Amino acid sequence: MAAPAPPRYRLGVHRPGLFACALAALALAAAAPAHAQAPPPGVSPDLLDPEGSTGDVGTALGGAIGPVVTIEDIQIAGNRSTSTRLIERSLPFRRGDQLRVSDPRLARARWKLLALGYFREVDLALRRGTRHGQVIVAVVVAERGTVALNRLWFGTSAVAPWWLGADVGDRNFLGSGLALGGGAAYASAGAIVGARPQWAGELRLSAPALRGTRWGAHGAITGQHGSEPYRVSGPPGSGEAADLRAFGYRRLGVRGGPAYTLSSLSSVVADLRVEAIDAAVPIAPTRQLPDGRVTAIDLGLRRGDSRVVSVGLGYTRDNRPDPALPHQGTRVEVAGELGTSLLGGSYDFAVLLGRYDRFWPLTHKSAFGLRLAGGTVIGDAPRFDRIHIGDVDRMVAPRVMGMTTALTAPLDLLGTDNADTVYGEVGGSVTVEYVYQWWRRPHRIYGGDLFVAAGAWTLATTDELRLRDRGAFAALPVDLVLDVGLRIDTEIGVFEFSLANALGRVPRW
Amino acid sequence: MVTRGRAALGVALTLVLALTTAGAEQRPVQRTMRFAERGTTLYVTTDVTNLFDKAAYDRLEDGLASTVVIRLWVYPSGKKTPVAFQLLHREVVYDLWGEIYEVAVTGPSGRRLYRVKYKAEALKLVTGLDQVAIAEVGAIPYEKNFELAIVAELNPVSAETMAEVRRWLSDGAGGGLDRGGSFFGSFVSVFVNLKVPDADRVLRLASQPFYRKRPKR
Repeated sequence: MAAPAPPRYRLGVHRPGLFACALAALALAAAAPAHAQAPPPGVSPDLLDPEGSTGDVGTALGGAIGPVVTIEDIQIAGNRSTSTRLIERSLPFRRGDQLRVSDPRLARARWKLLALGYFREVDLALRRGTRHGQVIVAVVVAERGTVALNRLWFGTSAVAPWWLGADVGDRNFLGSGLALGGGAAYASAGAIVGARPQWAGELRLSAPALRGTRWGAHGAITGQHGSEPYRVSGPPGSGEAADLRAFGYRRLGVRGGPAYTLSSLSSVVADLRVEAIDAAVPIAPTRQLPDGRVTAIDLGLRRGDSRVVSVGLGYTRDNRPDPALPHQGTRVEVAGELGTSLLGGSYDFAVLLGRYDRFWPLTHKSAFGLRLAGGTVIGDAPRFDRIHIGDVDRMVAPRVMGMTTALTAPLDLLGTDNADTVYGEVGGSVTVEYVYQWWRRPHRIYGGDLFVAAGAWTLATTDELRLRDRGAFAALPVDLVLDVGLRIDTEIGVFEFSLANALGRVPRW
Repeated sequence: MVTRGRAALGVALTLVLALTTAGAEQRPVQRTMRFAERGTTLYVTTDVTNLFDKAAYDRLEDGLASTVVIRLWVYPSGKKTPVAFQLLHREVVYDLWGEIYEVAVTGPSGRRLYRVKYKAEALKLVTGLDQVAIAEVGAIPYEKNFELAIVAELNPVSAETMAEVRRWLSDGAGGGLDRGGSFFGSFVSVFVNLKVPDADRVLRLASQPFYRKRPKR
């Protein structure tokens, strides 16, 4: 008796319509997270995501193959402006090193060079050396433009009818590996007594890796000719120019210090800052409240000449695979600054700022983000070092290179007393964000994400907290941040179009 | 007003450009594959040779290791959750002095090493899927349609490496005058933006729908 015939697998293409449906279904299925079966031991569950990359799986499953070779020479070509020595220093191997050709260092070399941000393309290949077992590593690079427009400021308000500024930088100045950057901004003067046109400039120079080591250095020179508005009368949030005054000031400062790369994703940076301030602060500035009372106001600067001398320390760790359109990973940033008269300064103060961004992928197309940012200023900090409303509420105009160009009152969605809030010593924001991946493609406009964000911000002066005649909630201006928009990662940069950004530029007054 | 109008027009044009490019993501390529059942296991025979273009093929002889990672999912037709998953890893390196290709093939049946003389042979070893076990038949009920999805990557990059390569994006201007704004704010900047893909090349394949015919009694 014959054994039963084994089952056959047949094409399930019965009709073109069904075929198309099946293909569409497969496309949908491929777009879904899969958790039916655990991946092999030591391999990330992310492997089950058809849209995700296998990433480290090569290391997890691979093994050493190929012969052991000695690097006889390293030949670099294609670099027109970047120095050969700089490229060699960035490679994770040296002449004379012995390694297997499947050694991860050889594979990583390409990424080490791309991570410099100087090259559009990096190709590595091995060639036979002069003796058996010796090889020549041939590195061919294609340089790319390293000039970046970092920030652009523009807008209009009652304080400054128009302002315009830009910050540009070159990450590989003259091929030296040094980053040279700077910015300039100008703001016209509004019809406020004491106001004058404002301008600011900055020049920065930094070396991310000194002689190929983990040590770097940075320095900056800054100058500012400003005019700071303050309220002397009228109700909180009033937009009448007659309720405002302004005083002029000048700042000239230098800052610089070392930096140290702790790992490929984290670094620390130290700062010494010396700044001279000349401020035409009124002798006894006062404000007439709506009920007729007159109170003294703190403008946060010494009258005449004063100095800021401070030391600072900052730490950054960023492991987000895509900082432009983040869907996973964490960014942590902490910075502290201590200004003291012991070093010759006129202000004794301390500033501690922290930032934490984390993204969790929900599906392969969506993610949940948490953004926390906040800080505190202790002591007698100069006005410019206090936390500004634009730092914590993205729905109002931020400062332009440290200059105040708008006194837009924040939206009062919770009915808290926040209309007068401009500077504070304690402040921060917490925002949750839902991100939806609209598209990804390999060229030109790489990707776009829609996002919806909601959260809260707060900003208060120490006096508001200590000397309050009401509940803490009422004394502590708290309000909501709402935002919705589109982030785009393109060949020419990263852009964000959002409701909050637009609101910050609308001249509410 | 004119300036604002132009800015709005610029934003609108950018948005339109973005919208017109949306949906251009990579879709799987339809491929007819051969399925067979032996014992309690379902096997597939196909290849991912298209993963290699001419440049990638030529790079096989550059003396550096090339890695191919292949993932296979079996989905019930119209469903989003796979019933089986398989992971394959292949690595090839050319020995410049020995003038041979060493190939390591790792899969559910373990790891095998091959030494071959010609590049074409090496390519066949790293891209061929010859009777590869993809599922236990117990997961594939009779008379129901299933499909096989394959994603093959050439030299995939780890998330940490990606983070390292694009880290400079979030370095910021590092300015002294606008420290608070830089610290709290998100970044928007204009530059020549290099996008490093997750892998040198990626190939997505989808099989024809298939089903197990119930054996006759």
